[in-house]
Amino acid sequence: MNVSICMNGGYLVQDEQDLVHRAQNGDKEAFTELYETYFGKLYRYVVARIGNRAEAEDMTQQVFVKAYKSISSYRWRGVPFSAWLFRIAHNLVVDFFRKESKRPTVPLEESLVASNDNVQQVVERRLDIERVMAATRQLTAAQREVVSLRFAGGLAIAEVARVMGKSEGAVKALQHSAIAALRRILLVGENGVKG
Amino acid sequence: MSKDREFNNILDECLERLLTSGETVEQCLERYPEYATELEPLLRTAMVTRETLTIEPSVEFRARARYQLHSEMDKSAVRRWRPILTWQPRWVMVAAVVMVVMLAGGGTVVAADSSMPGTPLYGVKLATENVRLTLSSSDVDKAELYATLADRRIAEIAYAIEKGKLQQVEKVTKRLNNHLAMMSHLSLAVEKIEVVATEKAPAPVKDKAAEAKPISETAPQKSAANQPSATTARPTVAAEDNQGPSARAMSENAAGIKERAKLRILLGQYAVNQPEQLRALLEQAPESARPAILQAIAISVASYKKVLEELNNQSDDSPADEDTHRDRSGNSPANGDSNQDQSDDPPANGDSNQDQSGDPPESNRIHRGQSTKPVSDSGALH
Repeated sequence: MNVSICMNGGYLVQDEQDLVHRAQNGDKEAFTELYETYFGKLYRYVVARIGNRAEAEDMTQQVFVKAYKSISSYRWRGVPFSAWLFRIAHNLVVDFFRKESKRPTVPLEESLVASNDNVQQVVERRLDIERVMAATRQLTAAQREVVSLRFAGGLAIAEVARVMGKSEGAVKALQHSAIAALRRILLVGENGVKG
Repeated sequence: MSKDREFNNILDECLERLLTSGETVEQCLERYPEYATELEPLLRTAMVTRETLTIEPSVEFRARARYQLHSEMDKSAVRRWRPILTWQPRWVMVAAVVMVVMLAGGGTVVAADSSMPGTPLYGVKLATENVRLTLSSSDVDKAELYATLADRRIAEIAYAIEKGKLQQVEKVTKRLNNHLAMMSHLSLAVEKIEVVATEKAPAPVKDKAAEAKPISETAPQKSAANQPSATTARPTVAAEDNQGPSARAMSENAAGIKERAKLRILLGQYAVNQPEQLRALLEQAPESARPAILQAIAISVASYKKVLEELNNQSDDSPADEDTHRDRSGNSPANGDSNQDQSDDPPANGDSNQDQSGDPPESNRIHRGQSTKPVSDSGALH
């Protein structure tokens, strides 16, 4: 039995393995607990990838429905459960863009911003989101994936590597190049606005 | 190690500290002064990106999504394969409890009942609760028990706050949210099943004239009594044949109404008390525990509101409303076969090809404007 005590998604790995095992045996409450742990992270990742709240909601639901149906096929074998879940999300995002290729730009919705903020905060937040999302769209596909998994999904580098099927070293290099590229793009944007 | 690789490692280590340990950019730069010039702009850009991309799901979506997931789980549960070692009939569970009580002593289980998170008997307490849930025979009993367990979890959160065990606050809050989700789901399932039972109560009269009538008009006694003389023989037989089942259905329905009323009263009390207790805890809780408690308050308010609205609607329903309920419940037990597709591609298998294989059929997928609405068009979920 694995007695690792690494934290993963707010859980001890051992706790999570137990939950997964129970969920595989049909324990709904265990699956619900896994769902609660990853729901917000997955939603943030999907929104960051596709920039549309309603589509992101549908897709987040689909991820969990697919996960529930196929959880019996999940085997630990060094692949964290989080990586397995995000892999499902990644595949759905890829399919989404494949199907939506004729509509490349997705309008950002105002509803991405919490409605209880005041008007000025809403406007500022919306501008920030638009600016960063526009910048991420200029990254390569792999860079964008790293940024979304790491900063929106909140995955550790090892988990990102598992989701993307790359080595940790390759992901760290992608992370570096992605942040550097984002900085350049955001600075150009700021200077452009000022100029 | 090449210089690039070394820098990538340092950048990642700093990011990990910023993202998970709450360290500041300045603290990271102090660790690596020789790389500070190069690190600082990257770390600041990363933090802006992280902050901007932290877009939270709305409370409404959370509640709606939870409801839909539970519906999906209900549909799939029947077909789920269970390894022989983990499957136990009820009597085995009872025997297991008796064994535990005999071996550990009844006092252990009783003592465990008042144990708190982090104490040695807390595991026994949770195990005992699971056994109680397993032994609960009906959805109503289970829903009541989940509401009671939610009460226990709130007491445990209070304890964890008092003792400064913040990790426990988060863990117990998650358990509380699960109990509320299960309570809500089971209460709504009670409503659905009983509505279906009410609709099935009328005799399945084969007469075409009777068939043409809306379901709500085909009450068995009336349909038999009102038949024209030419068809008297068959409907009379039908009425005799069906008197038993229909009387039984009526009596079952009466029992269901009683159960529902009882559930409504109990949940009505919890709906007031539990959010209030959580709000009181929010005032005592340290800053880091507040988001979890705030979320629990929102879930608790939304769950009870939805369930009580549904239960109240159900008690106020006139027969004319039944069609609405029939539409609402149509997806549930009757459509259980709709997702037999257990052959989903193992999702970790690289690119998905959902058009060709694994995906559930279109009707089964969650779409906005269709199944993303939790309960037909009533908009009861807020």
